[in-house]
Amino acid sequence: MRRAAADPALDGFRERFLGGAPRVAVYCGEGASHSWIWFADLLERLGIYDVEFVTEAAVLDGELARFDFLLVGGGDTYAMAEALGGAGAREIESFVRSGGFYHGSCAGAYLVLSGVDLEPFTPFDLIDAGMLNVMPDPPPALCLEHKYLAPYGSEWVFHPVYGEVELVEGDAPAGFISLNGAGPVGAPLFGGPVLEVADPACRIADYGGTTDRAAFPWPREKAERLIHGRQAVGRNEPGEGTVLVSGPHLEHPLFPRANAIMAEAFAGHWRRTLEAGRQASAHVQGASLELRGDAAGAVLEIKRQVSNARIVGFGLEKLPVTWRIGVKVWEPEKIRMFLDYTWNRLPYIERRSAEGTLPVQRLDELAAGYSEVTGLAKRLKLKAESGQDSQAEALSLLTRLKELTASFLSLYFRLRLEERGSDRNTLTD
Amino acid sequence: MDSMYYGDVLVVDLEAGTTEQVDFVEVDEVGPGLAAGLALFEKYRDSDPLVFGSGLFTGTPVPAACLGFVLGKSPLSGELAVSPLSMFAGAEMKLSGFAMVVVKGNSSKPVYLWLHDGVPDIEDASGLAGMDTWETTDAIRREMGESMIQVISIGPAGEAGSKLASISINYWGSGDTDALAAVMGEKKLKAVAVRGLGMLDADEPAEFYQKAFELFGGVKMAKGFGPVTEALGGPDLDKWLEPLMHRTRACFACPGACSTFVKYNEDPSVMESSDVEEPGMLVAGAAAALWLMEGGWEAEPACRAMEYMARDGIDMIRGARELSGKPVSGTAEVEAAVKGLEGSEEAGWPLGEESPYGLFGAWVPPIAAADAWLEANRVGYVLGICATFLLLSGVDMNALCELCGPAAGIETSPDEIAAMFE
Repeated sequence: MRRAAADPALDGFRERFLGGAPRVAVYCGEGASHSWIWFADLLERLGIYDVEFVTEAAVLDGELARFDFLLVGGGDTYAMAEALGGAGAREIESFVRSGGFYHGSCAGAYLVLSGVDLEPFTPFDLIDAGMLNVMPDPPPALCLEHKYLAPYGSEWVFHPVYGEVELVEGDAPAGFISLNGAGPVGAPLFGGPVLEVADPACRIADYGGTTDRAAFPWPREKAERLIHGRQAVGRNEPGEGTVLVSGPHLEHPLFPRANAIMAEAFAGHWRRTLEAGRQASAHVQGASLELRGDAAGAVLEIKRQVSNARIVGFGLEKLPVTWRIGVKVWEPEKIRMFLDYTWNRLPYIERRSAEGTLPVQRLDELAAGYSEVTGLAKRLKLKAESGQDSQAEALSLLTRLKELTASFLSLYFRLRLEERGSDRNTLTD
Repeated sequence: MDSMYYGDVLVVDLEAGTTEQVDFVEVDEVGPGLAAGLALFEKYRDSDPLVFGSGLFTGTPVPAACLGFVLGKSPLSGELAVSPLSMFAGAEMKLSGFAMVVVKGNSSKPVYLWLHDGVPDIEDASGLAGMDTWETTDAIRREMGESMIQVISIGPAGEAGSKLASISINYWGSGDTDALAAVMGEKKLKAVAVRGLGMLDADEPAEFYQKAFELFGGVKMAKGFGPVTEALGGPDLDKWLEPLMHRTRACFACPGACSTFVKYNEDPSVMESSDVEEPGMLVAGAAAALWLMEGGWEAEPACRAMEYMARDGIDMIRGARELSGKPVSGTAEVEAAVKGLEGSEEAGWPLGEESPYGLFGAWVPPIAAADAWLEANRVGYVLGICATFLLLSGVDMNALCELCGPAAGIETSPDEIAAMFE
C-alpha cells in the first residue's frame, strides 16, 4: 500500500479532478467481494472524495443519475447479475449512454460483456466483447483447484493463470501514456476474463505475458499461449459515456502503473464530461446534516473493536479454512483486509474528532457494528478451530463487514470532502 | 508516534479504574528502557507502582531484542527489583503500542490489562481469580480469540501474596526471583495481556534495519542449554534432558534457541500435535533445571516439578533450590513436594561466579566477572536485549549502542548506560 501511495505514477492526476469534482459510486452490493475497497485507495490518491458505496438497491432505484462514475470490482459475477437483473442492466446502460463512466474489473467486466449472455446474465449493449477463457471440458487444474472453475451454461469458465500478468499496448492505446512507458505494466489477474474485443479501436491493452508472481493452474507455457496477444483492457464510448472493462484488477493498490491506466481513463472521460458541460446532479451531503458532537468516545470504541477484530482475524489466518459463498471462495485473510481499510483511516477520524465535532450517532452505530463484528469473528474462530462447519458464521461476518466498511468509508470520504470544501485552493494531499 | 514509542508512557490507575497516555519528556535526560523505568518508578513512587517496560530495541530485528521488564519494590527485600519479560512478551508489549506502562494503586476487584494496538483496556478478572497461570493464559486467549496473545500473569501463589510467588509469561514462568508477582496480587492485577499488529518506526529506517540485520547475521549460537552450562563449567544439562527433549525454542529475534521443550506425557519424538492435552513443559531457564539435576533428581520428575511450579506461579529457581537434594519420583510425590515448598531459599545458581544480583535478580547466569555481568544487564535492560545473549554471543555492545542513532536519534555508549544507573 505504501509503495503505491508513494509512487509517482499518479502524480499529476489529482489536479485534473478538482474542477467540478466527479461523483463516484462504488458497487459493494450482492456478489461484490473485497476488491471494491481497493477503489477507495485509488480514488483517495487521485483526490476524488465525492464517493459513495452503493448496492444493487441504489442501481434499481434509479440513483445512478446522481453519479458521474460507477466502479464495479471483483466477486461473484453470477450473484451480481442475479441481483441487478434485467432492470439493473438497463439502468447501467442508460447511465453510460447519458454520459456516465462504467469501470468493471474482473467480475465487473464479465457482467457487461455483450458475449456473456447465458442465464443469469442479461446481455448488455455497451461493448462488443466476449470471454475466451471458457470451454466445455477444461483440463484438471495443476493448482488452485478451488479457484479454477465456475459453471457457465453447459461449459466452464476457467482461469489458467492466477496472479501478476503483464499488460502491453493494444491496438488503440491513444491517450494512455502509462502503457508506452517503461515496459510492460504489471497487474493482478484474479479470475478476470481473457477478453476478445471485436473492434480494434476499443482494444486498449493486451496481455503480454506472465510473471513469476503468478500461479498456474495450467502449464505456464500453455497458459501464456492462451492469453498472449488477447485483450486485457477494453474501452468503448457508447452514447455520451464510457465503458472500461478490465480482466486484471487495475485498481489494486500494489500496482501503481496499472492504477495509472485507470487514472488516464478517468481523466479522459472527465475531460469529455467537462467539455460537454455535463455533470451529475448535485445531491445533499448527508453527513453535514447529522447531529454533531464530541465523538472522542465513539472513535475510541471503534478503534478498540476494530483492533480486537483484527487480532482475531489474524488468528483465523493461521487456520486451514476457506468458505465458499456462491461461486466465490473466501480466505480468512479477507477479513483483515476489510478491517485494515477502516484501521488505516482511523487516525484521520481521530484527528478530526480532536479538532471539532463529528456525527456522533453515525460513529456510535459504527462502534456498535464493529463490536458485533468482533463477536462474530470470535464465534467463527471457535467453530473453525474445532473443525465444525463455519460457513454460516463466515457469511454473517463477511456480510456485516462489507456493510460496515462501506458505511465507514462513506463517512470518511464525506469528511474528507467537507474538509476540502474549506481548503479547496490549497489542496496538497 | 515517536520512533520506537520512545517516551510514550501509559499510566494505569487501578484504584480509579482509568488509563492515561502521557508524554514522558524526562526520558531524554534519564535514558530509555530500564533507565526510564527507574525514573518512572520514582515519579510515581507514592502510589507503589509496578512499571512494565521495554528497551529501546525491544520488538525489532536487532539480535535478541526480546527483552522487557517488570520493575517494582520486592516484598522480599524491600528494594527495587526487576523481572525479565522475555520470550515474546516484551516484544509483543512494545508492538501493542506501549513502551512503558506504569500501574499505580490497587484495584478493589480482580482485573487484567488488555493492551492492544494502542488501546488500553482494564478488564474484569473476577472469573480468573484462583486460576493457575495455564488456565489464566487459556482463558484470556479464548476470551480475546487469539493464541498469540502474550499473557503476563500470576497464579494462586501471587494472589495469596506468597513470598515464593513469581510472575509467569504464558505457561512458562519468568525470571521473577523477587516476588513481584505478590505485588501484582496485592494490586488485584491478575494479568497483563498484550498483542499488537503494528510496526515500529525508526528515525532512519533503512540504516537501522540494514545494520540490525548485519548484526543478526554475524551471530552464530548453538541450540539448547549447552552454551550456558559450558560457560558455567558445569555438567551437561542437555544430556540430562535428552530423553525427554522435543524441540528447542528461541525468544523473539534471538539467533540462539536456548529454551528446551520436553515431553513426558507422550513419546517426545512425536512431532505433530496429538490428542495428549498437556504433553510437556518448556524449560525456559537453566537455573532451576540445574538445581534439580545437581540435587539428584531424575529429569522427568524434575520437569514435572517445574511444571507444577509454573502452574502455581512459583519462582522456579528458589523452588528448585529448596527441592535440590530432596529428589522424589512419582506424580503425586512431586506435586506434594512442590506444595510443601516454604520459600526459605535465596535465588541463585548452583554453579559459576558469585554475582551481585541485586536489582537485576538471578535470571542471567553468573558466567562472567561481576563488572561484565552488570554491564550486560544494564545494556540489556536499557536496549531491550537479552543479557545472557550479550554475555554468550560476544556481540559488540558499542556496535549495538551505535544503532540508537538510526533507531531514535539517540547517542549512547555502554559507559553512558552505566552512568544511567548511578
